[in-house]
Amino acid sequence: MSASCSTAQWLTDALVAPPTEAISATELARLRADLARDLHTLGADLPPGERLQIDAFKVLVAHRHPDRCMSNDDSFVPSPRLCRRAVGVAAVNRCVRGLSAGPAVAVAKVLADGLEDLSGESASGVRAPWWAQWYAGLAQGGRAVVAAEAVTWATQLYTALEWTSLPGFPVIGGRDDWWQCPGGSQLVLKGRVEVRSLVQRRLALLVVGTGRCQVDWRVELGYPGLVAALVRDAQVAPCRVVGVWPQSGQVRVLPVDLPMLRAAATALVSAVATWVDGRIEAQRMALASGHSALAGSRRGVNA
Amino acid sequence: MIEPDGLLRRLRGDGVPRPEVDPGLAGGLRDWLEDGLVEAVATLPVGAGVVRVNKESLSQVLLCEAHLLARRQAPRVVTVGLARGSLVDALFRQWVTTGVVDGGWNDALAALEVEGDPDGVASFVAGLAAGPRRRMMDEVTEQVGHITAGWPPLSPTWLPRTQERLEVPLCGGRVVLAGVVDLVLGRPAQDRASVCLVELKSGGRRLEHRADLHFYALLEALRSGAPPFRIATYYSATGELDAERVDEDTLLNALSRVLDGAVRLCRLAGGAEPARTPNPLCAWCAGLPECAPGRRRAGTDVARVADALGGLDGATA
Repeated sequence: MSASCSTAQWLTDALVAPPTEAISATELARLRADLARDLHTLGADLPPGERLQIDAFKVLVAHRHPDRCMSNDDSFVPSPRLCRRAVGVAAVNRCVRGLSAGPAVAVAKVLADGLEDLSGESASGVRAPWWAQWYAGLAQGGRAVVAAEAVTWATQLYTALEWTSLPGFPVIGGRDDWWQCPGGSQLVLKGRVEVRSLVQRRLALLVVGTGRCQVDWRVELGYPGLVAALVRDAQVAPCRVVGVWPQSGQVRVLPVDLPMLRAAATALVSAVATWVDGRIEAQRMALASGHSALAGSRRGVNA
Repeated sequence: MIEPDGLLRRLRGDGVPRPEVDPGLAGGLRDWLEDGLVEAVATLPVGAGVVRVNKESLSQVLLCEAHLLARRQAPRVVTVGLARGSLVDALFRQWVTTGVVDGGWNDALAALEVEGDPDGVASFVAGLAAGPRRRMMDEVTEQVGHITAGWPPLSPTWLPRTQERLEVPLCGGRVVLAGVVDLVLGRPAQDRASVCLVELKSGGRRLEHRADLHFYALLEALRSGAPPFRIATYYSATGELDAERVDEDTLLNALSRVLDGAVRLCRLAGGAEPARTPNPLCAWCAGLPECAPGRRRAGTDVARVADALGGLDGATA
């Protein structure tokens, strides 16, 4: 790939190239049913009352560090790095629609709007973005770091594509895809992508990765492709997932076809199994420590 | 101290045409690096972690392999120089991003705290006695004064972004070249080089600052397929700017240095005995008691401790 033909143009062309693979409605329905059955079986083993929400991060953790899957702590602590994506996609949206002169201006506007939404939340009924409450509580120096992280992230996405070459209006950020495993399971899948563009009625997805592309990039890109396919009809299922890692300049293109979806489903089931095992083990250890603490206190009473 | 107009002219390289991008250059550099590393990577044990090559590990391993290992094993010490560098970095970032630093010292501390104070700088500052703390506040305030006087607001069309991370995997990801650039300006290159990299230094001028910049120029070339047209170091203590253009010689020299260092880092990761190279920092090396050549060079077997209040220049950001 030469720099002179513009990396952004090359990436854009790769994203919106005509679909080469088709998925039949029957095949997709069978995949959905098989996956629902496997996940339902796994979900039934979850400790009572526990719910498991899976996203791409959790799938990768299960594959890379299965020992870290014992935590059921889903609490979320905001940080500049964690909210740069949310602020960044909103900023890029403004730039692409010509509402801001560049990512720095756009980020400043998005952050200011977040504070405004927060202050008028109860009166206007407008819901402030999730980061606004946390951001509002920061001192000026902390807010500057949030803005700086978001500007750098947004600039990387903004310069990654030739936006005017995309057909129609791409969805930048947008709602995550959610798929509730059928059959009353406590399992929910969440798929997140940065850009969705329509190519001959099918979606082309762009995912922005952090750091460098790893050997399991097919899992990283396949997961959001799978969730996007599960929540849509076959005719409008995604045609490809393109991954870009701005920090390393790497790009990977994953066409969405049945073998790819099957492989992503296998990786997902394996990851869910690891998380369910982790939850069971965590509960077993908690019960064991509870019993020993109880036994210890009884010994103390008897003594 | 450089004036704002002069600073921008020098960053833009006014009067110097921007070089055309050679589409084969980055691929050629990568091939050269990977060919040079292949033997060293082959000796890495199965399951060995990724060998990370950054500006610190590079300069340390080239100075003395034993010194690098001793530094890795020694507890990390926050010095005044390191703390000052982190605080000034945070305020430079704030100035470039928001154009406002009226909170000065408090803004800098808030910036470190919102990121969880990963280097312990905020805690270090909080633990300083009133006198040294006042001196550091004065120094940071003076340096930020240079920044606000010397740096005009940057046009949003220059796409200024701060603390941009670069990561270049080589040899299937077993070796990773990595860096964080303080300020990047310009759109990614098309036909002509269009990116300028700036490093901020709060300490004095040192020879290795240029080598650091050249390393970043190489990373940018490998990452984006086009080298930057300009690289610069801004010294916030004096308000001076050292800027230079990037040509093929710059990249080839950087490549040769990276290759030398990366091969050594791979050897060490493979468990090889470190080479000992006596040098002026031997007297401060944590490994001095076990290092005969170092003891001879330093004339003692008791390592001096990096003065947390004065700091070592080598440890400054």
